Amino acid sequence: MTFVTQLSQKAWIWSFVGMFMVWLATAVYTGGKGSADVISAALSFATFTVIVGIGQMFVITTGPGNVDLSIPSTISLSGAVAMKIMDGSNGMLVVGFAISMACGLAVGLFNYTLIRVLRIPPIIATLSSSFLILSTAIAYGRGLKIKPPPLLAEFTTAQILGVPVLAIVIIMFAAVMSIVLHRTFYGRAVLAIGQNARAAWLAGINVERIRFMTYVLSALLAALCGFFLSGFSGGASLNMGQEYLLASIAVVVIGGTSVAGGKSNVPGIWGAAMFMFLLVTMLNTFGASAGIRLIMTGLIIVAVITIAGGEEA
Amino acid sequence: MLKKALMGATLLAATLNGGLALADTSAKRIALSNNYAGNSWRQAMLASWDKVTSQAVADGVVAEAPAFTTAENQVTEQAAQIQNMILQGYDAIVINAASPDALNGAVKQACDAGIVVVSFDGIVTEPCAYRIAVDFKAMGKVEVEYLATRLDGGNLLEIRGLAGVFVDDEISAGIHEGVEENPQFEIVGSVHGDWAQDVAQKAVAGILPSLPEIAAVVTQGGDGYGAAQAFAAAGRPTPLIVMGNRYDEMLWWKEQKDANGYATMSVSIAPGVGTLAFWVAQMILDGKQVPQDLTVPFLTITQDTLEESLANTQPGGVANVEYSLEDAMAVVTGE
Repeated sequence: MTFVTQLSQKAWIWSFVGMFMVWLATAVYTGGKGSADVISAALSFATFTVIVGIGQMFVITTGPGNVDLSIPSTISLSGAVAMKIMDGSNGMLVVGFAISMACGLAVGLFNYTLIRVLRIPPIIATLSSSFLILSTAIAYGRGLKIKPPPLLAEFTTAQILGVPVLAIVIIMFAAVMSIVLHRTFYGRAVLAIGQNARAAWLAGINVERIRFMTYVLSALLAALCGFFLSGFSGGASLNMGQEYLLASIAVVVIGGTSVAGGKSNVPGIWGAAMFMFLLVTMLNTFGASAGIRLIMTGLIIVAVITIAGGEEA
Repeated sequence: MLKKALMGATLLAATLNGGLALADTSAKRIALSNNYAGNSWRQAMLASWDKVTSQAVADGVVAEAPAFTTAENQVTEQAAQIQNMILQGYDAIVINAASPDALNGAVKQACDAGIVVVSFDGIVTEPCAYRIAVDFKAMGKVEVEYLATRLDGGNLLEIRGLAGVFVDDEISAGIHEGVEENPQFEIVGSVHGDWAQDVAQKAVAGILPSLPEIAAVVTQGGDGYGAAQAFAAAGRPTPLIVMGNRYDEMLWWKEQKDANGYATMSVSIAPGVGTLAFWVAQMILDGKQVPQDLTVPFLTITQDTLEESLANTQPGGVANVEYSLEDAMAVVTGE
């Protein structure tokens, strides 16, 4: 009993409860047909949301007003540049990956420069940089769709016993990031800044350096997502990052991270990402029209957040 | 007298040499007001516009024909852009509009200023403007009619476009109308793929496990390759997937065709329709009679024309047709 009570106090548990219920509803509706395959598909697609969700989580944790809106365009830029450099050749994989990370690094540096040097609020800074980044991607790729190197395509779509390999990798990565958040100086500094930036500064934390690292981390993860996503979906496209703008924020919030900052967790991001995918799948399976689907998605998300954040408010 | 005769001779010569390129519009300026550039179709549209209009400028058909794209795909922004074009004194404005009715005010101002307005793809409803519209409903219906020639019937999966957009509703209505007339088909699932390959892949992968055997997939273009990948990932047999005009879709089709004789068709709107709008604007400035409402012909790719279309499309681009003045005249006269 105490275990259940303990569990119910964890903010992240609710995204998993929501995920399970939505999955169950789908399974009941279809009479159990393909229920295991749905989980496998959900793992595949949730992986990408989780990658950017983790970056977004660190940014949001640093306190009110901190959010990275340049994630979608960074995904597009990184994917487009990496695919073009590699040009479908396995031999160029390492180079392509390095270039992709360089894109992320550049975006992170640029974002932070806007925020710190020009003192632009993060929302505006990352939004305006996203226009510049997407324009760069357009100018560079002209909507070009180049197939990924076969090795990358295989790796991103490979499965072991129905479990996507990439999902396993990212689950392990999430575990590492969870340790980083709760057990390392950097992670604790992020939490401290989110709770009270001034107190954190007085306690001797180099607030600006931590913020700098956080924006760079978010951009790097967005670039990583772009790299894998282009491998997974057979090439980069200009609008491939589009749906990750709201998704990256939604999974963080549904996962039980406080929008006000200073309180966050990693497992919830996985639960929320799975939940979001299964929710759309459920409504598609029910044959709900687009209007009803959007309304239901909104209502269910509000419900989950309300329950998850209930004891907090 | 001599002067007149000379002029007449020059005119005659121009008519004979340049075919249809009359000199009358050589001082005219035509602007393109475009609301969005963030996908490969729009990129191809702008590239076609640039190619055809630079040639037209070089040939002295018009003085200039610059293209302007708004950054935000916002109605207010495009309205302001059109007002700027009025002030800059363009003779004609060609519009791919962000909204069918919200730009009507700005379009009316342009008409009142004596400017010819031609809208295409994203058309405007203001009566004074010319419209080059796409019969999206017929496009949807064509797909089902094609399926009827290939299959005895079966379950269909429908991939729709972007929810809430007029085009999506129209194509889908056409598909459903086609299914009504061909009751051997049944739509057992419907997802929104947003005309994007990755979104379609995600949506199809989600719904697929719960679906019975699928005989064919009806699409709206841009989503065919994603659907194929979702079927492959789920380990299900590849159904007949109606394709769009993207390079990746045609390339996949070609690979399948070579490997196992896979046959399908593709129906789409060529991005070069922008150049049709350009010539229509030029013809109106030239004093020709043009109906207020025109319909764009579809670009259909069949099993036989696939290789040719693929060869003419650059990797990452979309199958395209650019219009010449003669082609535009054929459309206008309905030939």
